[in-house]
Amino acid sequence: MGELILQVRHLSKAFGSNQVLRDIDFSVEKGDVISIIGASGSGKSTLLRCINLLETPTSGEIRYRGQNVMGRDVRPAEYRSHVGMVFQSFNLFNNMTVLENCVVGQVKVLRKSREEARTHAMKYLEKVGMAPYINAKPRQISGGQKQRVAIARAMAMDPEILLFDEPTSALDPEMVGEVLGVMKSLAEEEMTMLVVTHEMAFARDVSSRVVYMNQGVICEQGSPEALFGDPKRQETKDFLSRFRNT
Amino acid sequence: MDKFTQLAADIGKLWSKYGVSYLNGIEATLILALVGTVIGCLIGFVCGVLNTIPCAKTDSPVKRFFLGFIRALVRIYVEVFRGTPMVLQAVFLYYGLPYFTSNAVKFESVWAAAILVVSINTGAYMAESVRGGIISIDPGQTEGAKAIGMTHVQTMLNVILPQALRNIMPQIGNNFIINVKDTSVMFIIGFPDFFAAHRAAVGASYLYFPSATVEMAGYLTMTLVASVLLRWAEKRLDGDSSYELVQTDPLVMTAGTYNHPDRGTPFDEHSREYRENLKQSMKNRNFRSRGER
Repeated sequence: MGELILQVRHLSKAFGSNQVLRDIDFSVEKGDVISIIGASGSGKSTLLRCINLLETPTSGEIRYRGQNVMGRDVRPAEYRSHVGMVFQSFNLFNNMTVLENCVVGQVKVLRKSREEARTHAMKYLEKVGMAPYINAKPRQISGGQKQRVAIARAMAMDPEILLFDEPTSALDPEMVGEVLGVMKSLAEEEMTMLVVTHEMAFARDVSSRVVYMNQGVICEQGSPEALFGDPKRQETKDFLSRFRNT
Repeated sequence: MDKFTQLAADIGKLWSKYGVSYLNGIEATLILALVGTVIGCLIGFVCGVLNTIPCAKTDSPVKRFFLGFIRALVRIYVEVFRGTPMVLQAVFLYYGLPYFTSNAVKFESVWAAAILVVSINTGAYMAESVRGGIISIDPGQTEGAKAIGMTHVQTMLNVILPQALRNIMPQIGNNFIINVKDTSVMFIIGFPDFFAAHRAAVGASYLYFPSATVEMAGYLTMTLVASVLLRWAEKRLDGDSSYELVQTDPLVMTAGTYNHPDRGTPFDEHSREYRENLKQSMKNRNFRSRGER
């Protein structure tokens, strides 16, 4: 048993009368790489957004290191600085260069000096291979490059856990590899990651646990070998067979 | 033709007599328009930001009441000052304050009154422009900022407002040019602007048309110069369209290559063959260097 970082208990989320998440229960330990798979509309992204409090859950609780983050004594902004997020649409700050994107959070939120933040940001920009582009604006670089910068921006905050919301879904096929490569190297360094993805090969080869979601509930979860090799539930089998055939 | 020579002669006559007062008028007009636009923009930004503070149903009733109250105030301000002529606002404030306070509060200088009127008038227009500018920014920008732990104020100051400012630059320019022209109504409270110079000149000389020609040319020159400067400022805000590469990007690979293409070939760092070769060459090198010593 590793160190418990995140616990989600009885989490539900409804948009009006539309129940998107129902009674979700799971926990994340340090070093876990958890892939969340499932059909579109099954609530994967909403779950991730709830964890980061970008959506307010309707009921249930999210415990970060034992503390309920929806409590009155937790400031959402402070909590979010420990939980990195990488978006499908990158969401880089368009008014800043690549380097400033990775520096601004450290300076404004973590109150680091500009120099220190710059050195720290460069470390991660080098790791994702974007060091040559530090002077470029987001509109001047490709999708894959933007996503790598977004990963560096999240990592520069030294988060405890990194959430990926379909990080390769908006990319052209030839750019998927470079982003998955970066994510794989993060996984190898035992970064705790929660990845919503449609990349089955990544889920199978890189993650330590796979969660299959269907219609707002966790249908099945387990090791990649178990879930891909010998799925227990019929829904999981049906879902996976669609991917095998293509 | 001789009408034009007549006009030129009249303008020359006017200029020799009132040239200084025309130039002083231009100076006053530009200062008033510039200061009014800048303060107006600040007012507009504050109102725009107040109007876009997110308010969730789960927030405390105190916060929701307070936000609702502020929004109502901003709304009233915008509607009143956008919906009445600036001439009247000037009269209203300049004579209204002493009237209601029996001369206890009055404007020490006509400048203060003029700047106040132009500023709050511009602010009322800018409030809506700024709100438009803020909601035109992709919500993803806000989410990106929140995701790294920024508060609402930090998000606004560092991410949203700089982008909104760029988007509403044409609006700010519009307002400045409108202010250059519309400050002419400030003669009503005796403000010595460019138009007031015309009134003074024709009052003594009766050269209505030549003086109006001077005025037309003067205002057009001011607004044209302003447009050129604003275009230039917009270009500056957009920044350089090129950027400097520091070195080459080593990570760009083709699809699905998180399995390295060298895998399984003798070039693969992780293959036995590669390691053996490497070990062998290391050994050879060590052997040789030892021998040389």
